[in-house]
Amino acid sequence: MAEGQEAAARDRRRYRIAADIGGTFTDIAFLSEEGVLATRKLPSTPDDYARAVVTGILDLLAELRTSPAEVSAVLHGCTVATNAILEGKGAPTALITTQGFRDVLELRRIRVPRLYDPLWVKPEPLVPRERRFELAERIAADGSVVRPVEAAEVDAVVERVGRAGVEAVAVCFLHSYANPAHERLVGERLRRALPGVFVSLSTDILPEFREYERTSTTVINAYVGPPVTAYVGSLVEAMSAAGIGGRLLVMQSSGGMLDSATVMERPAYIVECGPAAGVMGAAYLGRLIGCANLITLDMGGTTAKASIIEDHQLLKTDEYEVGGGISLSSRLVKGAGYALKTPVIDISEVGAGGGSIVWLDKSGQIKVGPRSAGAVPGPVCYGLGGSEPTVTDANVVLGYLNPGALAGGTVAIDAEKARRTIAERVAAPLGQTLFEAAYGVHVIANANMMRAVKAVSTYRGRDPAEFVLLAFGGNGGVHGVELARALRMQRVIVPIGAGVFSAIGLLVAEVRFDQSRAFLRHLSALSPAEIEAAFAPLEEQVLAKLARPRAEVSFERAMDLRYAGQAFELTVAVPEGLIARDGTAGLAELFEREHERTYGHRFPDAKAIETVAVRVAGIARGAGGGERPAALRYGATAGAARPASRSVYFGPELGHLETPIVSRGALAGGRHEGPLVIEEYEGTVLVPPGARVSLDGFGNAVIDLGTSG
Amino acid sequence: MAREADPVRLEVIKNGFDTIADEMALILMRTAYSPIVRDAMDFSTALCDGEGRTLAQGLTTPLHLGSFFDAMRFLLDHYRGRIFPGDVFIGNDPYLAAGQHLPDIYVARPIFIDGALSGWATTVAHHVDVGGTIPGSNALGAGEIFQEGLRLPFLKLYERGSPNAAIFEIVKANVRTPDLVIGDLEAQIVATTVGEREYVELHRHQGAEAMRLYIEELHDYAEDLARREIAEMPDGVYEFTDQIDGLGETPEPIVFKVKLDIRGEEVSVDWSGTSPQVKGGINAPFPFTKAAAYAALRAVMASDIPNCHGFTRPITVTAPDGTVVKPLPPAACGARGITGFRMIDCLMGALAKATPERVTADGSGGSTLPTFAGTRGGKAFVFSETLMGNTGGSAGHDGQEGVAHIGANQSNVPIELIEASYPIRIELYGFVADSGGAGKHRGGLSIVREYRVLQDETLLSVRSDKRAFPPHGLFGGAAGAPSMNLINPGAGERALPVLMVAPLILGKGALFRHTMAGGGGFGDPLERDPPAVLGDVIAEKVSPAHAAETYGVILRAGAGGGWSLDEGETRRCRDRLRAARAGAGAA
Repeated sequence: MAEGQEAAARDRRRYRIAADIGGTFTDIAFLSEEGVLATRKLPSTPDDYARAVVTGILDLLAELRTSPAEVSAVLHGCTVATNAILEGKGAPTALITTQGFRDVLELRRIRVPRLYDPLWVKPEPLVPRERRFELAERIAADGSVVRPVEAAEVDAVVERVGRAGVEAVAVCFLHSYANPAHERLVGERLRRALPGVFVSLSTDILPEFREYERTSTTVINAYVGPPVTAYVGSLVEAMSAAGIGGRLLVMQSSGGMLDSATVMERPAYIVECGPAAGVMGAAYLGRLIGCANLITLDMGGTTAKASIIEDHQLLKTDEYEVGGGISLSSRLVKGAGYALKTPVIDISEVGAGGGSIVWLDKSGQIKVGPRSAGAVPGPVCYGLGGSEPTVTDANVVLGYLNPGALAGGTVAIDAEKARRTIAERVAAPLGQTLFEAAYGVHVIANANMMRAVKAVSTYRGRDPAEFVLLAFGGNGGVHGVELARALRMQRVIVPIGAGVFSAIGLLVAEVRFDQSRAFLRHLSALSPAEIEAAFAPLEEQVLAKLARPRAEVSFERAMDLRYAGQAFELTVAVPEGLIARDGTAGLAELFEREHERTYGHRFPDAKAIETVAVRVAGIARGAGGGERPAALRYGATAGAARPASRSVYFGPELGHLETPIVSRGALAGGRHEGPLVIEEYEGTVLVPPGARVSLDGFGNAVIDLGTSG
Repeated sequence: MAREADPVRLEVIKNGFDTIADEMALILMRTAYSPIVRDAMDFSTALCDGEGRTLAQGLTTPLHLGSFFDAMRFLLDHYRGRIFPGDVFIGNDPYLAAGQHLPDIYVARPIFIDGALSGWATTVAHHVDVGGTIPGSNALGAGEIFQEGLRLPFLKLYERGSPNAAIFEIVKANVRTPDLVIGDLEAQIVATTVGEREYVELHRHQGAEAMRLYIEELHDYAEDLARREIAEMPDGVYEFTDQIDGLGETPEPIVFKVKLDIRGEEVSVDWSGTSPQVKGGINAPFPFTKAAAYAALRAVMASDIPNCHGFTRPITVTAPDGTVVKPLPPAACGARGITGFRMIDCLMGALAKATPERVTADGSGGSTLPTFAGTRGGKAFVFSETLMGNTGGSAGHDGQEGVAHIGANQSNVPIELIEASYPIRIELYGFVADSGGAGKHRGGLSIVREYRVLQDETLLSVRSDKRAFPPHGLFGGAAGAPSMNLINPGAGERALPVLMVAPLILGKGALFRHTMAGGGGFGDPLERDPPAVLGDVIAEKVSPAHAAETYGVILRAGAGGGWSLDEGETRRCRDRLRAARAGAGAA
């Protein structure tokens, strides 16, 4: 490669910028190739989320004296798809099914998420019954047509969909994975007759068998399609209007980045992307600092999310359910949310964040969340019209958060308003002092978050005490240490850039596209050429979606296999050259080895093996994502040390303590005893009495809780 | 908490047990072969302590789970001193293994810590066939257990790690689908292997001494929570009577009478007055009867009680010998599931009087079990699935459609899987309008499923219920619509009994339609929020005529095909209906 080209490649990499939207704040991060970090945090703009993204990018670039035109890629994580589902604010959607099966979506899989709960109530289906239409058509399991579609009936259904006034349509016919012709035909009619309506065919979204899961995933895709399309479209437009160059890449639930144009076709794949970015960042950081076992706690303004990284491996699942209140990941607990069969990083989430609203139940018990004041109106102390007390208001009262301003002065704080709302709305009705009440709120918020952490640890038989807590998000550092103490964890790391850590995760994630399709065959009857013929078109599809030259893309092939007669398959990575070398016997051996690893046994007398699906992931190197600098340190936006102290309340036993307020940089060299409050541009870290903090070589704050010191 | 126990550690250990039981369930589900196990999830897993007391239940089927302890105690009584590492026990017989019915085969593996018997990894799975007079081994017409299939006392399937080939051969020879049965048995064995591995690991991690302490602590903690819950229920004696429609073409109702005595921190359940055991396969072995009581009472306890043996301690269950809920040998038990479901429903009827805010009106009543069998490509096939279900209305909500009965947290089988594996086509799966019992909170709608038989000589048998005695409403709510089994609905249709004592042979092209009962309503239908009725009409869950007749809600058809509420006419209609009621009451 010519020297000039190398330089150009370096330059391209240098101007990548990440923007992560949370419920409350929008975080911008820029990481130079040398690992120098520059960040910006500003309130999200829910009326038009793109505005904060563009403003933030322009601000940060101005500070870095860089022209927007030089940006090669904007890496983005957004919660617009998740929020649409959680808040029931997706597009009015219709569903067309095979005649006789419009209730499959609502009947689901019958199982309920809890034993012994007769009063359990199912989540409302995303498409109500009156907008679920049936079409006389039928395909058999082998793909043969039992009942062809009649053009007149298609027209009639399309007309009914049109009259329903929907913005999106999902189409899911029985056995369409074996023969997509009917879905394709209806899809074409819909697109022609109803331009502007977002159409999702199950064969495009998830061409795999099991009708409920496929229908549900397709419906989710349709339901979030219009809001995602509108949002991404407006962001691209706003970027272009602001002169920000480069392509827009969006994070998917799997942790891989993808071009925005492709994301708009398969928005179901980004539904759980918000929390994924932080976990990708955590995995990167764990490798950097040599910490193999981490529990991540990402606490923002609206929710707290936990995930587990064991031996550097993060946990993925394709049996996810979204929505339905608290999402505590467990593969056996089914029915609480909406089935989403796309690759997802396994994360547990509870509605506890800085903006979570504090209320009192009938018996006078303090409750926190799950409702959030969000960015607008936000906590009462923001002075933006918020009238209900929040966790952040309590944290201001307690002295944990700066009583003047947050985010380097971007967000002004009115401490008096915080005191008044906690006093009037919490302390007075309970007959408590102001500080007792505020502390109660803080403790309850911790207890709520503990459930998310337990869901990924103790619920899986893992003892959190054996993990390091990596606390990030705007409020991770404020709550992380006390939470860790309650779980007997010994060490908490609040990473550099903790307040914008998800944005850092965006910068280190790879560009990736996953595509699968059903492939129901007997393994022993397959020739290497037939296997190649199953993978090759998928690779072409993936390549097309990635829109990159072949030389920049590497492929990962995998196959779902099972013993003939089993209903559940195992996914086995198919290494390059394996089939050519060992034929199907090589695949059989890989499958049986995986079966033994997963289930503790294989069948000695060679049982027949079936293939179920083929999967291809394309990973684009070079332009775009996937840069992993070997170091991290703060650049320009790190605040200077402002030696100060304030009175901070640490519970009824310790009461108020005069507590030093320091910058992260001031911790360099040596260990410091709590109490301490570390204030930095995008977050606050509370080091309570009894804990000690030091900085590691990368600028991460390492807080030890061990009694032995 | 009685001892000096660390609550966080107790929770870590408790959740460790729960996780192991769930992991066993996942492994069983994922390695099993028959649709009824792998898809419908008619199986259960439990982790037990050295005394056979349940420590944790996989998220599976409560009616199984409450039965484990009696089976384990039976096993321990018969084998104490002769249990070794590497043993695996198998058993299914209600009388010779404290089992549930012959298709439910237990596989239990003892776990040794430091040489001492310290736990059990146990599973039970509903096998698709264990022989007997009809495919699927749900012979409703069986007069004696000898007709129901292969009887297995507790035997060592493995002894000190070596398989007993004779048992495998006997099982293979006695069942119609040996591949599926052996495949499912292997899945059970694998699940117990994983349970053992994880249980040993948890002990290694926590220390055997601490584990002994915390196991007792867990039982005591669960018992303590259960006692507090019972103490909060109003003391009193609560009775209820329910019926199963009966067997065959001329069904005689089978009566369930329960007396629930809540006194302080304890509760007793007595079934005196219940029908004598019947000459048919629906007698419920007593361990199953106890499981029904545990499930119903656990369901009205609010707090998060660990599902271990301890919570059952304050509950006493009694029944006279020789009844349908405590049969004597050789009574047949093949289809006893229906009896378990009905016991829970009957208990809920009684509990409605004690804790009305924690129950629902009656629902479709547990699973319907259709079984299709025949020969394809020279091999026998048997397909059965568990169909559920809906619930009645409750104090806070309408009844639900498409939820499991609390007795059995099982799943439907994907249509695409059925059609890929069997000569059957599903042609309809959905709700039936106007079938939910009217109420302030409406009962869940009936669910209908149609099966087209694609091959001659297909045998059909069905276990269902609630046609003569449809699900009852509560506090003024109406009963739900009755269930129905039809062959070739329409002109020339044929109704089948709820409980078929003999299978029917169907020809290619025949259609079987099963309609579940609708859930009962909760509260007076005239108090139902009119917009809720309007919503039901728009969703085609209730017809406009039904809305007027039962809810007194008058709707007007709009120009675009929509509906709107006529508030004035609704008020007048409701007044008329109330007046008519008062008149009827006076007359």
